[in-house]
Amino acid sequence: MKSLAFFPRTRRMAIIMHLFLLGYVAVILFPLSWVVIGALKTNREMFLDPTGLPADPNWGKFIEAWNAGVRDFFINSVVVSGVSVALIVIASALAAYALTRMNFRYSGWVYLLTVLCFAIPVHAVLVPIYGLLSDLHLLNTHLGLILPYAAFGLPFSIILMYSFFYEFPAELEEAGKLDGCGPWRRLWFVVLPLSRPVLISVAIFNLVGVWNEFLLATIIMTSKHMQTLPLGLVSFRDQYGTDWPGTLAAISIGSLPLLVLFVIFQKYFVRSMAGMGK
Amino acid sequence: MSELSINGLRKSYGATEVLHGLDLEVSGNEFVVFVGPSGCGKSTFLRSIAGLETISGGSMTIDGADISGLEPDRRGVAMVFQNYALYPHMTVAQNMGFALRMAHVPKAEIARKVREVAEILQLEPYLDRRPMDLSGGQRQRVAIGRAIVREPKVFLFDEPLSNLDADLRAHMRLEIIKLHRHQKGISIYVTHDQVEAMTMADKIVVMRDGNIEQVGSPLDLYNEPVNRFVAGFLGTPRMNFLDATSTGVANWRLGLKVGGMTLSPPIRPDADALPEAGAPLSLGVRPDGWRIVAEGDGLAGRVVHAEQLGRETVVFIELEHGPQVAMIQPGQYRLHSDDAIWLAPAPDELHLFDASDAALPVARIPRTNSHN
Amino acid sequence: MAQPPTHHRRDTISALTLLAPAMILFGAFILLPLMQTFAWSLYRYEVFGGVKEFVGLDNFAKLAGDEVFGIALINNLKFAVLSVVLQVGMGLVLAALLDRGVRRFKVVYRTIIFAPILVSTAAVGLLWSLILNPSIGPVDDWLGLIGLSAPRNGLLGEPAFAIYGVIFVGAWQYTGFMMVILLAGMQNVPEETYEAARMDGCKGLRAFFHITLPTIRNVIITCCLLTVIGAFKVFDLVYVLTNGGPGNATEVLASYIFRNAFEFGQIGYANALSVVFLAIAFVFGLIQFRMIRR
Ligand SMILES: Nc1ncnc2c1ncn2[C@@H]1O[C@H](COP(=O)(O)OP(=O)(O)OP(=O)(O)O)[C@@H](O)[C@H]1O
Ligand SMILES: [Mg+2]
Repeated sequence: MKSLAFFPRTRRMAIIMHLFLLGYVAVILFPLSWVVIGALKTNREMFLDPTGLPADPNWGKFIEAWNAGVRDFFINSVVVSGVSVALIVIASALAAYALTRMNFRYSGWVYLLTVLCFAIPVHAVLVPIYGLLSDLHLLNTHLGLILPYAAFGLPFSIILMYSFFYEFPAELEEAGKLDGCGPWRRLWFVVLPLSRPVLISVAIFNLVGVWNEFLLATIIMTSKHMQTLPLGLVSFRDQYGTDWPGTLAAISIGSLPLLVLFVIFQKYFVRSMAGMGK
Repeated sequence: MSELSINGLRKSYGATEVLHGLDLEVSGNEFVVFVGPSGCGKSTFLRSIAGLETISGGSMTIDGADISGLEPDRRGVAMVFQNYALYPHMTVAQNMGFALRMAHVPKAEIARKVREVAEILQLEPYLDRRPMDLSGGQRQRVAIGRAIVREPKVFLFDEPLSNLDADLRAHMRLEIIKLHRHQKGISIYVTHDQVEAMTMADKIVVMRDGNIEQVGSPLDLYNEPVNRFVAGFLGTPRMNFLDATSTGVANWRLGLKVGGMTLSPPIRPDADALPEAGAPLSLGVRPDGWRIVAEGDGLAGRVVHAEQLGRETVVFIELEHGPQVAMIQPGQYRLHSDDAIWLAPAPDELHLFDASDAALPVARIPRTNSHN
Repeated sequence: MAQPPTHHRRDTISALTLLAPAMILFGAFILLPLMQTFAWSLYRYEVFGGVKEFVGLDNFAKLAGDEVFGIALINNLKFAVLSVVLQVGMGLVLAALLDRGVRRFKVVYRTIIFAPILVSTAAVGLLWSLILNPSIGPVDDWLGLIGLSAPRNGLLGEPAFAIYGVIFVGAWQYTGFMMVILLAGMQNVPEETYEAARMDGCKGLRAFFHITLPTIRNVIITCCLLTVIGAFKVFDLVYVLTNGGPGNATEVLASYIFRNAFEFGQIGYANALSVVFLAIAFVFGLIQFRMIRR
């Protein structure tokens, strides 16, 4: 029960606050709905009345956009995001576990290295990464995007898991030891099941980051059929430049997956993203 | 001298009423302790007085002025929270002076008052520290200091010592009492530690399920509980209760059958409603109210366990025809598990309760037994 | 000590096994490339001319006199400062309203306000480029309604306005994110603290300024840091909305690195820019780490 309010609890104040929030919500929702509605219009309608409703909603544009490339972008995004997020979650859990729980002499140094990597932005190493992937013949392959995504997603994930494992009660693991579990089985049967919240958090913020990543994808996925959604949508615009409803339809379906996941798993998304402020 | 008067105080959360019309008068500089089982409404009662809860009925006055509609800071009350609730971003001095600052008291005046209170509480060396850099006991003192600075008429404490270890708690208990004497205001103190209640209170208020069961001095409550609940609540180990049956009243004595034993305590001249023959009663005996008697003299039982504390011995006994009871005997008794033992209540240590758990008036009770 | 040496060895081997995936990825994709960035920043290395020669610090000297680099840096700074004001400022207002302001529809508001963060920045850029597009977007019409005439090429086509347009779109996307972080911080302030404040006669907006803001100070700092770091890393928005134009008006460090490397083929120069970029980002990154670990 909140006993203190920042604003007077009067009807008038409540109305003012709701009006303010509704205004803000309108600023958010207007562009989003404009995109969806625009996809239903004809090019002519777009030019004549940008904010108007379509006289005869044309749902076909969504299917057209889907077949004209969005499907490929979507599949690429799912593959790249799915594999790299899985890789990040697994590798960061293993690494953080090793750093906090094992009698390893260089743990301190490895952690320092992780922090160092955390502070290095991908922008600073674009050219060498391009060169490396080119040498490995990984340009325009899923793996070529997955590996650097994993590398750059790992540091923050490790740091987060590290602090989680660090505070994880050692007694529980000692109990596991007495029950005859080796380190691997302790990790699997005791630690990981109890780490679900942090694993989910790590998975979600990496998913949001990777799904929407643009810069690396731009330099690595130059051939159109390998592109992920964000750049796919941009090249869609460049290709079908004057087919506005088509572009808007592509943006709509391209943006849908994460929004749907968000609405379903809202609690986890909010917790995960809010955790960045810790 | 202040006076706090509460009449018919009610509090509901939605449809559930948690305080059912409480009345309480406190005057002078009494130290009042609220006790009662968890969830009985002690905190709610205290917070209603503080103004942190809006009450749903009744009235409260301090020195004759109605405070029920006032904001907390206008009531002349101050509160010490269980978790201290110090502002982490302010120094000790800023914490203590915050209320005055909010009331636009001049800076010099605030500084003077804070220093004065810090001196009383021996907090001067810490005035510039943050709460984070203090020990638990020091934080507690700051929380108290913050309350004192405002010179309230009523101090409210909600389990202020429950986060401290046993030694510190005993020490702070004394400090709080000393401060209370020094300040000359009313203190209301919530606890569920009955040692705190017995040792600190001028007046104890025993609560149950949103009602006040009894108000009185610690010894009044201990000696003359009005009902079985109050009797069982104060004292450790708790009072033992045994089923008894009335055999009727004769010669100003009440005949009782308890297990294999008969008792005939005298009744007070002022007693009005007396139990009829055959009426089921409950006999209450405090652990120190038992006497060990000769074999066959009283209630038979077996020792379950004896706690040897040196100065006294606490014995748990399984009665042959009755429940397990606790007994405290001064001195050292070398009893062992399964030893047979015979008990009887001491003559002046009997409490009787009727079927509705209300106390029955019983005076000094000479013990009798079957083959007197 | 008490453990037999074999035990210790086994632990070390297990630890190395567990750390291997992360370490290999760090080495291959972060640390090794980082060395190369440093190394190549000392070369005149041009893809198209096939030139590759060691020139020492020449690239950095050139950088000091590069006007576009200056524009990019200033744009990043503008981006950082204005984003902090817009995103953290508005985020605080919204969080305060949802924490202890309105009492109904909180989840609905939070959900909608947070949603833009889940749309990719590229898509956000696209949709705003269309909304601000003078021929199909409605914004120009609205400006007309309030008596202003939009620039011929739209807001984003006007060198003086374009960067502010980009900053606005960034705020549109990220304010909800800041709000969610700040709201979580506010919800962590114990109720008892507010009750103590009430007892002290501090309530309403006074409590917000005297109690809430100082208590969540660290969260606010973290938000500012996230925003500043994001502002220096901005690329997609600029790329999609203006592609650095008109002219170089909206060039930022990231887009300028990208352009030098992948459009002009000036690898050496791009790497010198990367080194500067790294220096800036690294400092903020370490401060951010300090905040996470507190
Ligand atoms: N905000 C609330 N909404 C509904 N019921 C509440 C609320 N706060 C307290 N209660 C109920 O009111 C009753 C009294 O609570 P209160 O906190 O006063 O008990 P208490 O005597 O202080 O207990 P404790 O010794 O555990 O602190 C409890 O049954 C509790 O469940
Ligand atoms: Mg309580």
